[in-house]
Amino acid sequence: MVTRRDFFRGAGVAGATLAASAVSRVSLAALPEPVTMDKADTQPPLLPPNGRPYNPVVTLNGWTLPWRMNKGVKEFHLVAEPVVREIAPGMKAHLWGYNGQSPGPTIEVVEGDRVRLFVTNRLPEHTTIHWHGQRIPNGMDGVGGLNQKQIPVGKTYVYEFVARRPGTFMYHPHADEMTQMAMGMMGFWVTHPKGQHPLIDPVDRDFCFLLNAFDIDPGSYTPKVNTMLDFNLWMWNSRSFPGIDSLNVRLNDKVRIRIGNLTMTNHPIHLHGHEFLVTGTDGGPTPVSTRWYEVTTDVAVGQMRQIELLADEEGDWAFHCHKSHHTMNAMGHDVPTMIGVDHRGLAKQITSLIPEYMVMGERGMADMGEMEMPLPDNTLPMMTGTGPYGPVEMGGMFTVFKVRREQKPGDYKDPGWYKQPPGTQAYEWTGPLAEPARFRSEGGQSMPLATKSPGAEFQVRKPKDHSGH
Amino acid sequence: MNGTLQGLQGRASVFVGAMILGGCATFTPDGGFGSVEQEVRQRIGKDAIWPRTDAEREALESRVATLLSKRPLSADDAVQVAILNNRDLRAAFAELGIAEADLVQAGRLPNPHFSMFRAKLGHDYKIEQALTFNVLSLVTAPLAFEVEKRRFARAQQSVAVEVLRLASETRKAWIAAVASEETVRYMRQVLRAADASAELARRMEQAGNWSRLARAREHGFYADAALYLARAEHAQSAARERLTRLMGLWGGQAGYELPERLPDLPGTASERPDIERQAIAQRLDIRAAILETEAVARNLDLTETTRFINVLELGPARVLEGEKSDPYKKGYEIALELPLFDWGTARVAKAEAIYWQALDRAAQTAINARSEVREAYRSYRLTHDIAKHYRDEIVPLRKRIAEENLLRYNGMLIGVFDLLSDTRSQILSVTGYVEALRDFWAADADLQMAMIGRVEGTLGPKTLLTQPEAAAGH
Repeated sequence: MVTRRDFFRGAGVAGATLAASAVSRVSLAALPEPVTMDKADTQPPLLPPNGRPYNPVVTLNGWTLPWRMNKGVKEFHLVAEPVVREIAPGMKAHLWGYNGQSPGPTIEVVEGDRVRLFVTNRLPEHTTIHWHGQRIPNGMDGVGGLNQKQIPVGKTYVYEFVARRPGTFMYHPHADEMTQMAMGMMGFWVTHPKGQHPLIDPVDRDFCFLLNAFDIDPGSYTPKVNTMLDFNLWMWNSRSFPGIDSLNVRLNDKVRIRIGNLTMTNHPIHLHGHEFLVTGTDGGPTPVSTRWYEVTTDVAVGQMRQIELLADEEGDWAFHCHKSHHTMNAMGHDVPTMIGVDHRGLAKQITSLIPEYMVMGERGMADMGEMEMPLPDNTLPMMTGTGPYGPVEMGGMFTVFKVRREQKPGDYKDPGWYKQPPGTQAYEWTGPLAEPARFRSEGGQSMPLATKSPGAEFQVRKPKDHSGH
Repeated sequence: MNGTLQGLQGRASVFVGAMILGGCATFTPDGGFGSVEQEVRQRIGKDAIWPRTDAEREALESRVATLLSKRPLSADDAVQVAILNNRDLRAAFAELGIAEADLVQAGRLPNPHFSMFRAKLGHDYKIEQALTFNVLSLVTAPLAFEVEKRRFARAQQSVAVEVLRLASETRKAWIAAVASEETVRYMRQVLRAADASAELARRMEQAGNWSRLARAREHGFYADAALYLARAEHAQSAARERLTRLMGLWGGQAGYELPERLPDLPGTASERPDIERQAIAQRLDIRAAILETEAVARNLDLTETTRFINVLELGPARVLEGEKSDPYKKGYEIALELPLFDWGTARVAKAEAIYWQALDRAAQTAINARSEVREAYRSYRLTHDIAKHYRDEIVPLRKRIAEENLLRYNGMLIGVFDLLSDTRSQILSVTGYVEALRDFWAADADLQMAMIGRVEGTLGPKTLLTQPEAAAGH
């Protein structure tokens, strides 16, 4: 248990510091001092030091914003400001965020809490905050021009409302939001139920993350804010694999995962080894009768999904977006397919003009996961990460759900790689292989081919070893 | 009669002897070439040789062969070969012989004039004999000789200029030939890579990864590269042939080998604040113009001296009238052209006009020289800046882009064809640098020439690659 006082001294959360340098202490005398985070690691859950009790969430590669109680009102202080976010080791992005990070800290409150949020604008342009999905007075909804004046540069605005509905929400600007969201301004909001809720079960572990995407040109740092759909970095909480932490749970834990989508496309989020129920959406907890077991749930643009499962299968289970390009880091979208193209004799000729040229893609793209070749500065390899059995060949929206018998309750530390019990892992067949019967009736019954052309099948090139070049 | 004539000749020989002792010209052993040789050595440190015997010609040929056997042939050696071997130049040396002959001619007195009249009627004879000599030539000969001496000096200067101009043009031709060979070599390398990309595109289509359209588009690089190479080879052939002509080579001699690249760009271009004054002091065309005016001035003096009396002939004469045995009457004969119709004014006017013409030409030569040397110097500085810009900015920049593109290729952010098409702009920067370096060395040669005389001739055609439309890429 950490006290509020500890937080405000900056000692409660590892890496959290008081940021009072740019806004003077005097001018902020009546405000809760802003707390900032300088690390992109997953921080332990913030156990509520005061107010109504609740079971806190763990923000993947993020943290929860501390508050202070002021005459029964929970006071938070968000500072909108430019930040440097580590996307993964080897790459940093110049983003806009809140309190030192993008996404901003998760705000956790309890159903019925009166909440006062001070929002200080340290961006170079005006901003607002919209409390996505919440029932609040119209003047607190944060649409610049519609509900309020935009918060000018250097000014602090106050939002105040009661968190009426339990559920999973988001916050993001609604002023020049195209730019500000493309620059990473977003955060998570969880309203915990007050006491027992018929549709909200208590869980052992409660994770949350936002889906977000940036277009950062390889070798640069700042997202291209005018990109509409052709993003090249797919992230959970502004982290790309292998920069994303694993979700570490104890065997037979009941686990809830809350996912919000602030990208421009939908993401079919898929978990291996378990079935889950979608127990909540943007509208709150789903009625029990509507729940069915799934292994993939599509999270559409601007939506929230809350899934729950019993982690009863030990192991390291992949957990990722099922759009396979979203489990890649920056890659060329116009790179021609080189599969099956014989490079023999050509590589040497090309090196006469480009001395360090190397053949890639001839056998597929797995070379990328294996070879370590120099890349532009501040650029993650397209596929990367090494597991216990070799390259994982992943990037982007991919992490591992780790279920361990020995994981202690409340312990979120990475237990390392899972060691499969003997006889429970795929193995190499060393016996003889029979030649399979092949399909031979192109054209089918309804429209048989008038003349049989040499089918494409005959031209398929079988993989060969060209390690000679 | 004989004795008497001998007496006449004896008297005449007094005049002739006086003239020869007075410094009459004879042919010099080197035909006046010594000063040309000295001028060339002093200006560019090269040997100018005018072979006039078979032995000299043989020695010269073997020297040319030795120079040509050097592999590669340096610019200095190419210049030396041209000076020794260019036949046009040797023909120009002959001009010197012609001019010297005129000079010697001018230094010699006119021959005495002997006239005889003989008439006979039976035993009655009339015989008149006179040996006359153009007395006025004794007065005018030194003047005419002066004129011819200056004309000869001028001929020497102009022969020296021809040698130095040939040297300059040979140096520029060498620069152009080396640069064009370097470009051809690079273009072959480009074609090799382009060939690889075309072949890769073909295999892409064969493997079913590309459409015919995509393959055809990629084939463009190869097609362009082949064109670039053909153009480069054209330029190279023209440049090399020009050098071959200037060096006067044919047959097996034309197989000389040039260095792989031009000399590096000097770190800094030399500062020459005083260049105009130096040029005025040094330029041979200015000196020639001054000699010309002096000669013309003397000529004017000559014309004025002789304006009334063109011919004054004087000499002993004797007359016999009557019997053959009668004694001769001795006397003298004077012949004088009377300026009755021609007072010489036309000749003087012409000489005056020629004099003024020479003066104006000399003045314009000096004005041109100043301007030419300024232009040459500025061109030298600017081509240095351009080549330096290529070397320090454009080439490294393209190289950096190429390196970054390779990194992108490594990350599968771009494909191999993007990598290859980027090299096309790299190609432009490399050939651009070669040409900029070529232009600098040519400007350097022109500047040296501008300090000697008028700059003539340009380099061979540039390859198309430096034209902007080719830079548009794909």
